[in-house]
Amino acid sequence: MGPLTYFEIISPQWNYVIAVLIGIAFGYILEASGFSSSRKLAGVFYGYDFAVIRVFVTAVIVSIIGLLYMGYFGWIDYSVLFVHPTYLYASIIGGIIMGFGFIMGGFCPGTSLTAVAIGKLDGWVFTIGLFIGIFLFSLLFPYVQNLYFGGYLGHVKITDYYGISDGWFTFGFAVVAVVVFYISTLIRRRVKNVRY
Amino acid sequence: MSKRYIILAILLLGSALGLNYLPEQPNKDLLTPKKMLVKIYDQARYLTTDGVAKKLIEGDPGLFLIDVRSPEEYEEYALPGAINVPTDQLFTGENIDYLDQEGIDVVFYSNGDVFSEQVWMLAAEKGFDNLFILKGGLNEWFQTIMQPVPPPETASKVAAEQYMFRKGASIYFGGSPNLLASEIPVKKKEVVVRKKKKKEAEGGC
Repeated sequence: MGPLTYFEIISPQWNYVIAVLIGIAFGYILEASGFSSSRKLAGVFYGYDFAVIRVFVTAVIVSIIGLLYMGYFGWIDYSVLFVHPTYLYASIIGGIIMGFGFIMGGFCPGTSLTAVAIGKLDGWVFTIGLFIGIFLFSLLFPYVQNLYFGGYLGHVKITDYYGISDGWFTFGFAVVAVVVFYISTLIRRRVKNVRY
Repeated sequence: MSKRYIILAILLLGSALGLNYLPEQPNKDLLTPKKMLVKIYDQARYLTTDGVAKKLIEGDPGLFLIDVRSPEEYEEYALPGAINVPTDQLFTGENIDYLDQEGIDVVFYSNGDVFSEQVWMLAAEKGFDNLFILKGGLNEWFQTIMQPVPPPETASKVAAEQYMFRKGASIYFGGSPNLLASEIPVKKKEVVVRKKKKKEAEGGC
């Protein structure tokens, strides 16, 4: 069966149309859940709002379990799914930079665009800064090239790299997810009166 | 903590745990029908007898011949270096290791195409790569390599060169090429010169 686009069950032309529709839905849901407020994202780092973590962990765990079951029943061809290549140093350094950007700006690239859509000034500033950053990076690319391509591990998955079975890794992740949900609920109860 | 969250958490952990206790699926390793169809349409799996003969003469280490006929037929005649794996023993014992050779072209052959094609499909469905078929099998091998027929004199240069190669290959593999008319050595008719019998001395003197 799937992936639907890989086997051209969905034609490449419709693929773009569907991508636009999913993008609109994604932006709408981000905005409707209040993610276009920078306080929501910054709350993860200051410890008063864990909605972002809960959303992301839920998305990850649901899609892992779903993909594994669908692969088992033959609804999806697990082997042709794209695994993003790992560049170790770039991932670590990029992650740190992005984390600081999260704390200082209070947006991630997606939520900054939803903030622009509802006309928030800080969202505008963040987005303009984002494009300046992209521009500077492309100018400086020759100097950071070695770092950018450093520590290349190929299209590798954690389970393959460490030789863990997919099922037990997923179970471990699910346990961590439930613990995260529990702790964040406890903290959420203590925090009151946050103005978004 | 509301009841809903507890139920959801149990559901999550249960479905994640369940992943580890799924029963083995018997046909899990097989290719999907769609992929199989793409493979079957691909004509690149056929090797010509000329190509295989050339590789054999050159001693190409990247060629691995598998004879899928019965052992009796294999005893009678087989290509040099070929290994006998009858059709019904394809996936038994160490035979499976013959199929799984990285970077080596595994070539199936039988008398014709039918059995080698069947074996190819069974092996390809299991996901083995680098599998080929000797097009036409041993029948084609005998017609083209062992006993090549010379092209007509009006044939193209390519056909003539192909014939020259096949003739050489035929000699290499111990066949008997049909020679060109001009190449057949003309046997001189032996003229028997009979000595005249000495006439018996006739009486006289």
